[in-house]
Amino acid sequence: MLDARVWFLWAVTTLVAASSTRSPLYVIVMLLTTTVVGATCATGEGRRAPLSPLRFAVVSVPLSALFNGLTVHLGDTVLFHLPDWLPLLGGAITLEALAFGALNGLTLTVIFSAFSVFNQVTPVRDLVKLTPRAFHEGGVVLSIALTFIPQTTQSLKRIREAQAVRGHRVQGIRDWLPIVVPLLVSGLERAMGLAEAMVARGYGAVTDEEQPLRTQGLLVLGLLLLLAGWLAYLFRAAWRIPGIAAMGAGAAMIGLVVWMTGRAVHHTVYRARAWTGKDTLAVLGCTLTLTVTLTQREVLYYSPYPQLTLPAFDPLVGLALLGLLVPAIVTMAAEDARPLASETQRDEGTNGGF
Amino acid sequence: MRKLISGAIYLLSGAVGVLAFIYPFFAPAGAVPQQAMAHSQDAPLLTAALVGLSVVALLVELQGRSLSAKTVAMLGVLVAVTSVLRFLEVVFPMPGGFSPIFAPIIIAGYVFGGRFGFLMGTFTLLASGLITGGVGPWLPYQMFTAGWAGLTAGWLGRASKWANRRMGDPRLTSSVSRFAPNAATLSSHARHLDVLVLCIFGFIWGLLYGAIINVYFWPFAAGSVEQTWAPGIGLGETLARYGAFYAVTSLTWDLARAVGNVALILLLGRPMIKALERFRRRFDFQVHRSHPAPEPRVDVVEADAYA
Repeated sequence: MLDARVWFLWAVTTLVAASSTRSPLYVIVMLLTTTVVGATCATGEGRRAPLSPLRFAVVSVPLSALFNGLTVHLGDTVLFHLPDWLPLLGGAITLEALAFGALNGLTLTVIFSAFSVFNQVTPVRDLVKLTPRAFHEGGVVLSIALTFIPQTTQSLKRIREAQAVRGHRVQGIRDWLPIVVPLLVSGLERAMGLAEAMVARGYGAVTDEEQPLRTQGLLVLGLLLLLAGWLAYLFRAAWRIPGIAAMGAGAAMIGLVVWMTGRAVHHTVYRARAWTGKDTLAVLGCTLTLTVTLTQREVLYYSPYPQLTLPAFDPLVGLALLGLLVPAIVTMAAEDARPLASETQRDEGTNGGF
Repeated sequence: MRKLISGAIYLLSGAVGVLAFIYPFFAPAGAVPQQAMAHSQDAPLLTAALVGLSVVALLVELQGRSLSAKTVAMLGVLVAVTSVLRFLEVVFPMPGGFSPIFAPIIIAGYVFGGRFGFLMGTFTLLASGLITGGVGPWLPYQMFTAGWAGLTAGWLGRASKWANRRMGDPRLTSSVSRFAPNAATLSSHARHLDVLVLCIFGFIWGLLYGAIINVYFWPFAAGSVEQTWAPGIGLGETLARYGAFYAVTSLTWDLARAVGNVALILLLGRPMIKALERFRRRFDFQVHRSHPAPEPRVDVVEADAYA
């Protein structure tokens, strides 16, 4: 199993790559990649996705094609005309508009599929561990919430049963009142007990620690640089490079504040997960894809307007996109090696017996 | 001084986030990077990064004053309760964009203040996203918008406090705690006026939530000329086109959310405010470090006696 940070990088890389192109060939490569990774890695008892990527595609591709086809009247290949008196819909229905809509749906499917895999392969506990040290209190809130969710669900069930025994039936929104209020009050009672236990164990005994002025000052400076850089980037074509530099400096300053705040927090790990060679390989694969995606924007670009043409395909760029396949490859390699290892262990055990 | 800097952080992070959402409305012709060309996808990525950074900055500031155990526990449990409501929404599909999570966020922000409301909004969306498999590129936008719904609900509570003071409401209490600075405005019996104000607020945020979430992709969406943005069309035309786009694609969906918020606040508003207010008072305790034990003066006296 790969590190949660690697999976996060993988999902973000897929998002960036999918957002960078509308070429059906590259999009299909990415869709196949995420499907293979999902089929290989998301086989355990992880969280079930609310909607499978296939079902998502069945809905999103035709819907997006239909919406775009009906509302965009650009393109040379006119299929038919809708009467002009129809507001927004009236005009030429073109093949190009339908194709662009379908491509948008396909791109959305890639993004949905990647995050669906991410949601399935990363345990919630590992995601909470990704919380930066600076946000340790946020991490505690999140941990409490995630721990209390099953208890709250149980409470909800118990309250519903108790109300049902009294003859209460949920038929409309008004009937939820005798269920939601006891649920809230029982939750708050638990919060009271939890807070007392936390205080008794010394958590937050000092409640009025102020943030150092230096940290706040840096935060203000970072935000000012971000804002100034963003405005320069947008409104002054000649200042785009300094604008990007200012935004970079602002982001770095906010990152520095997060690091400084986090440094003051002592962090312990009960059982640390070791970084493996598989994680490194997956990171290298993502880095390759990300680098090519960010540097080859012109190669990835495709638009079906004004006339639908066959998209170009650069095999090297296509190959670079396969960097996203590394998690599946290392998982398959690990699974292939497992029976061998267990056989070896068995043999050794047998020999030892002799 | 500290308050001033804190206010600047709120203002700047809000400005960065809001500008990231709405900049197409103000961008002059030619200011947007080569729209139709290969870099047309740069801006959404940049926008996502900016929204993420502004959420991070605001979280650093809000957490900077060290959350007490009571706040952490109450926030955790309220986020859990609200996340379960969102889980119900996934299991039993609700009409349109209706979601039962906004009413609790708004009411909690109103009672406990903007800081609590912001944290509850962001953490509810994050925790419910984790349990329902809803983590995706849309999550920072959802967290930012829900956080601001909670934050502004806190401001509304503060405005209500000011209005009550002006009217000389005899039910005002004087116990102002750091934990819930504006909760003192609320009496033990929530007034009908509070619920009415919250209903209007919930209705507006029901529509605003969808309108804000739309804006991040609208400038890059293809569509009819009457509904899509183009560089240099001016503020009035941009608003008109966005209005047309919103009316066609989102209004019905968002109306279900807005009406649902009103229904939930009407239903839950009074009892929930009463319950939260009661627990606010129960939570209003402080733990102080005990003073060091006094010196054993008797021994000293005895020592003196023996000297």
